[in-house]
Amino acid sequence: MTNQIAAQNSATQSPREVAVRASHVTMDFGGVLAVNDASFELEKGRFLTILGPSGSGKTTLLRMIAGFQKQTAGEITINGKPVDAAPPHRRSIGMVFQKLALFPHMTAAENVAFPLKMRRFNPRQIAGRVDQFLDLVKLGGYGNRRINELSGGQQQRVAIARALVFEPDLLLLDEPLAALDVKLREEMQLEFRRIQHELGVTTINVTHDQREALVVSDNIIVMDGGRIQQQAEPVELYRAPENPFVAGFLGLSSFVEGTATADGNMQVGDLVVQGEPADDFAAGTKVLAAIRAEQIRLAGTREALGNCDMKLEGRVSDTIFEGERQMYVVEVGALSGATFRVYHHDPDSFGLFHVGDTVALGWNRRDLKIFSPAA
Amino acid sequence: MTARSQRILFWALVWFCILILSVPTIIVVGASFTTANMISFPPEGFTLKWYEKIALARDLQQAFIRSLIVSTVCLIVSVPVGTLAGLALSRFKLRFANAIQIYLLLPFTVPLIGSGIGMMLIFGEWRVLGSLWPVGVALAVINLPFIIWSVSSSAGALDGDLELAASSCGAGRFETFWFVTVPGVMPGIITGGLLMFVLAMSEFLVSLLLTDARTVTLPVQIYNNIRSIITPDLAAVSSVFVVIALLAVWLLDRLVGLEIFLKSK
Repeated sequence: MTNQIAAQNSATQSPREVAVRASHVTMDFGGVLAVNDASFELEKGRFLTILGPSGSGKTTLLRMIAGFQKQTAGEITINGKPVDAAPPHRRSIGMVFQKLALFPHMTAAENVAFPLKMRRFNPRQIAGRVDQFLDLVKLGGYGNRRINELSGGQQQRVAIARALVFEPDLLLLDEPLAALDVKLREEMQLEFRRIQHELGVTTINVTHDQREALVVSDNIIVMDGGRIQQQAEPVELYRAPENPFVAGFLGLSSFVEGTATADGNMQVGDLVVQGEPADDFAAGTKVLAAIRAEQIRLAGTREALGNCDMKLEGRVSDTIFEGERQMYVVEVGALSGATFRVYHHDPDSFGLFHVGDTVALGWNRRDLKIFSPAA
Repeated sequence: MTARSQRILFWALVWFCILILSVPTIIVVGASFTTANMISFPPEGFTLKWYEKIALARDLQQAFIRSLIVSTVCLIVSVPVGTLAGLALSRFKLRFANAIQIYLLLPFTVPLIGSGIGMMLIFGEWRVLGSLWPVGVALAVINLPFIIWSVSSSAGALDGDLELAASSCGAGRFETFWFVTVPGVMPGIITGGLLMFVLAMSEFLVSLLLTDARTVTLPVQIYNNIRSIITPDLAAVSSVFVVIALLAVWLLDRLVGLEIFLKSK
């Protein structure tokens, strides 16, 4: 049954068809721009995550797409039609809420049947469809349970079934995994991914969890301060952040300030640090370089580093054991005392260096991104 | 960890309070079984003849039925009004919400004799005094704050996203209200409704002002009987009242659970 739905969806969907388009969407809460001139496109059947810290405007953007709030400027279209005049119940959007918002006075099956009743589905088909979707979320046989008789993970699944049962054009996820413990969260991330693949439903997910964004999404938008900072595919986003915010928000980066040189590198004191310019900047302007903790190599001597474009000496100022890896904080005198955070993933060498040790750091030119800090 | 002496003091206080609170009930119920012709406690002997007498007394029977009618009218008026007002006051950011709360409290905070006379004047002007339904309406107006509080506190505990979830499920405003909001505050409505019913059953002062010889309700009838001679059949009637109140509490516990009732203001 589920495969049929997937087949229908893939049949109706031609490649590169845009499902959601936001053009210059702005939300002005009396002078505070919660969302500032946000524009993006999402193709049909794709899984988009809007990633950002709290207060970045990601939830406001989602609520405007759902129709719970009306933007003060700009336009949102779904499948080519502007939806701004339509109230939420006239939009074909399924939503999973942060606190799930399951109806406590109904059973699991009644919750899943509710959208079908409200959307005037043929009453004779409702029961079969409810069963089909409870099976899809692996809750077959749990239909008669009351909501408070289900575990947190099972409630999540009911909420997903309720959001998807009427085959909406769009599925919205408002941080539904935020309250779960780590193990269950990771399990549910993969479930979201599986179900989304199985049904092929266009999905927008909102989260502050960068790992979740990278795991589940086809496409990621990073937001901060109400503005879209970057939209890219996960690997691309991780590999080529466009500004220091994205570099700092995804993964763990160390930053070094310096001055731009004519050939696009960065000068700190007498030392020229080779890196990859991420924007255009004039020679002599102030710039900010970022490098990720796992892209720095660490060894006892320069020779032991092997091939690296850049090699420096530093002093270990802190060591933090994180279980699957060891993090070293290294202070580099040659870069006017800039500190680098370095991950060491080899279990055999945990505890190899101690605070106060002199170590050698190395990295490759393309891994150090140079930004103009104003961006 | 509380010390032993603290525990003894604590339980002594608890039992003292329980005793003080239940003494009138115990005396009345006890007195209703006396064989003497005057009310007395402790009862002399044991008999059910006073219950037989009130079961056969037409005036008490009719007064009881009138009280049931008054309480039902009160319920019919107060449940929709109180539910909507309670929801409005807690769900929407109303201007003057506090002023409205206080205004709704007025009939209750003004001495009952004052509200009662006011009602009497209005109903007299409208020439409806002498019917039973104005008594029910009056009691609904006076006790309305109770059901409003009970519904508001229920609504306050409701997750605001439930209504958004309903609308994303395709429910319009009315459907959301009927299928999600009302069931969500049902514990508050049941609690408030039972409270309104019991209060209307036992209300005396306003009922006294609004009834006449043809429309006396049970509490007023009891009062009329006391004025002539206090016989144990009145204790029996009062015991019946106690049983009705206990039934209401039992029903409440079955329907919504007492802890919800005790949590609501």
